[in-house]
Amino acid sequence: MVSTGSRRLPLEGVRILDITVVWAGPYGTQLLADWGAEIIRIESIKHFPPTTRGMMPYPDRNMPSLGGGSAQFPDHEPGKRPWNRWASFNAHARNKRSMTVDLRRPEGQEVFDRLLRISDGVMENNVPISMERVNVTWERVHEVNPRAIMIRQPAFGIDGPYKNYRTFGSHMAAVVGHYSFMGYRGEDPSMTGNTLTADAAGGAAGALAFSAGLRHREKTGEGLFIELSTAENFMTYLGDQFMEYSMNGRQPGHQGNRDPQYAPQGVYPCMGDDRWIAITVQSDEAWRTLTEKVMERPDLASDSRFATLAGRQEHHDEFDVELMTWTVTQDAIEAMNVLQGNGIAAGTVMAESDAYADPHMQERGFWEELTAEEVGTHLYTSTLWTAKNTQRRHRWGPPRLGEDNEYVYKELLGFSDAEYAEYEAAGHIGMDYDLDPAD
Amino acid sequence: MTLEPTSIMPLDDVRIIDLTHRTAGPFGTRILGDYGADVIKIERPGTGDPTRSMPPFYKDEPGLERSGLFMFLNTNKRSVTLDLKSERGREIVRELVKGAQIVVESFSPGTMDALGLGYEDLKKINPKLVMTSVSNYGQDGPYRDYIGIEMNLYAMGGSMTSAGDVDHEPLKTAGRMVSYHAGYAAALASALGLFQVEFRDSDGDYMDVSIFETAMHSIDMRLGRLMGYQYTGHIGTRPGRAVAVGGGVHPCSDGYFLMTGGPRFIPNIIRMIGMEELLEQPEWGTAEGRAAPDRIDEFLAYIVPWTLERTKEEVRAACEEFAVLGGPLNTIEDLVNNPQFVAREYFQEIDHPTTGPIKYPGYHNRLHREGAEMPKRRRPPLLGEHTDEVLSELGLSADDIAALRKDGVV
Repeated sequence: MVSTGSRRLPLEGVRILDITVVWAGPYGTQLLADWGAEIIRIESIKHFPPTTRGMMPYPDRNMPSLGGGSAQFPDHEPGKRPWNRWASFNAHARNKRSMTVDLRRPEGQEVFDRLLRISDGVMENNVPISMERVNVTWERVHEVNPRAIMIRQPAFGIDGPYKNYRTFGSHMAAVVGHYSFMGYRGEDPSMTGNTLTADAAGGAAGALAFSAGLRHREKTGEGLFIELSTAENFMTYLGDQFMEYSMNGRQPGHQGNRDPQYAPQGVYPCMGDDRWIAITVQSDEAWRTLTEKVMERPDLASDSRFATLAGRQEHHDEFDVELMTWTVTQDAIEAMNVLQGNGIAAGTVMAESDAYADPHMQERGFWEELTAEEVGTHLYTSTLWTAKNTQRRHRWGPPRLGEDNEYVYKELLGFSDAEYAEYEAAGHIGMDYDLDPAD
Repeated sequence: MTLEPTSIMPLDDVRIIDLTHRTAGPFGTRILGDYGADVIKIERPGTGDPTRSMPPFYKDEPGLERSGLFMFLNTNKRSVTLDLKSERGREIVRELVKGAQIVVESFSPGTMDALGLGYEDLKKINPKLVMTSVSNYGQDGPYRDYIGIEMNLYAMGGSMTSAGDVDHEPLKTAGRMVSYHAGYAAALASALGLFQVEFRDSDGDYMDVSIFETAMHSIDMRLGRLMGYQYTGHIGTRPGRAVAVGGGVHPCSDGYFLMTGGPRFIPNIIRMIGMEELLEQPEWGTAEGRAAPDRIDEFLAYIVPWTLERTKEEVRAACEEFAVLGGPLNTIEDLVNNPQFVAREYFQEIDHPTTGPIKYPGYHNRLHREGAEMPKRRRPPLLGEHTDEVLSELGLSADDIAALRKDGVV
């Protein structure tokens, strides 16, 4: 749906201090930035947070870790300031601002307090020990600004024996049981690979928590502290598997690509290199259409082995061979359209190139072009949903480190040129890392 | 607008008419219920939400009040049965909408309009209404009527090309990540819409949540991989078994452990397994040396005997101590006994006439307010359990309700 509205974005006028790292926290503040919140990233030129703005400040362009995925620079070139060119950061930073201050020093703490007094709240997702070191706690936030909302989102929450256990999304997925279900049937989990959805789930949770906090604040005039464990939040994404255990003491193990409710279901190879289609036969009727009409194999349609769901489950492997014989002759996109046109649940395993070429995404306005300094012009995903009366529009691309220092220090905090220069000389304000040897 | 404070939960004076069914929509309204909203779930008379007939079932016996899937998705809600095919049923929905702030629905695109319950209809009754639709592909576009289930929506929207092992077919992520995440998006869309209405003095809005799009936005860091592709044209594929020295899934005495390796972490891993002397050897002493592909298999011979002698929880504790990134591959049974989740009293026991008290996953988040506890969740409702209660709140008499029941409307 393309929005027809021209209304202001809902969160315009809401200012949030963003001390988030890696993915879960930044994804959450992005969701709020996309709908108008002023997200001010608080960063430091004295400390390089590994992974957030790159694996290291000055990477060797030949490092094997720069092989693909989100660990990439435009044209493979880290450039003069690699931290402004890191795909993994830039993917979730549009519409945000960036300022720098060293929170480990008293005058940095004072800047934080002054900003907090004119903000609606703070969002962070560090291990508690990191926040305790710079004294960013609920007690402090509440004292400085009783109307402030605070979302703290460490992986495992603010207490308990795992309090300071550092993990990424893939490890959280392991801890909460994800890989006991995701895996190839009959194989040990070493083949499973990684899954990284805990962070996105955590982002949505953080954004919703802040929204709830805002409503509470408007109702009561008081701030609110909401604590969110990214791992606990993600465990609910396995809610029905949990209930199976809770009710029947059972855990089914690796399911591969199959489903007890549907058969056949699988991922089948298509024409070309690493091209695949996911197919689910969701009913007896879909089964007949697939075999008779699409595969033109009436012999399979009338084969009594496959007549019922139970039969198709029992003889799944046999049918997979027949289906694969058909899919390998097909283009992955065309096959999806043919199968869907015949009422069969099918989807191309979409590579990144498919996503951008997809006519549905294009027609619904899912991509927005933005230009960012030191990065260039690229397509960004639009908002997570469309609002009919409120036009979605990205305002600017990912901010460079410290890009908004003048705005924050001078416009928001009223620093004079002399004070600004003093903070610059003291290593608070800058656009290049000036790391202590210990970091 | 000023609102009277009532209790700890931020949405406890918000009423939601929940016309969602199956998994995505109910996951979203469940979270809004956790924040205190009064969620009135409209179900089809006789059979209710299709998830009532979906496994897992308590003691494997099917029954409308026995589905663990339904129970998980519908805590903190009230159930009202209403036949939307009858004009009287639709009239009652419109009455309910008058007193509600939010409607969430998950019918096929066009269904609500055909019922006379589309956004254009409902906003005439309640201009401040926020209406959120959750559908597979969104309310328009060429795929609008394509079939969507967890598997093919993940294939299209998620990063399935990169999921699994390079020598195998792409592998589905566990459970219903894609559906549930769209539900989260619907909850957030509804909450932001409500904020706009209440505190920005705005009329209502209509939110179009597409599962395909929310997957493309979120699942498996798709956003980052898409950005990476824009930068270099690199198309993602599945990793091999061991892509970095020290990394991979290592066997332990009681299961497996996922460890992140690579040149940055390997010195810490070497210290963790007590082989510091290795760092003095030329091929292990420098970052370049440690990055050589030959090191991967060589190091497995060092680390696997070490992990095999330890439980996965012991390996986890060592990782925390030596700043190594990793996590144990837990089962659900491990979780209910896990020291962290037990210490934080994460799991909640909820009583139900069918199952008695059993454990559920806990709250997504914790609100901290002095002197106020997080309330206990209400159990999932029986089919139509709150029909009389909700209809009497609308002002219907016992006789009116009896007549509706006789006509099969409720």
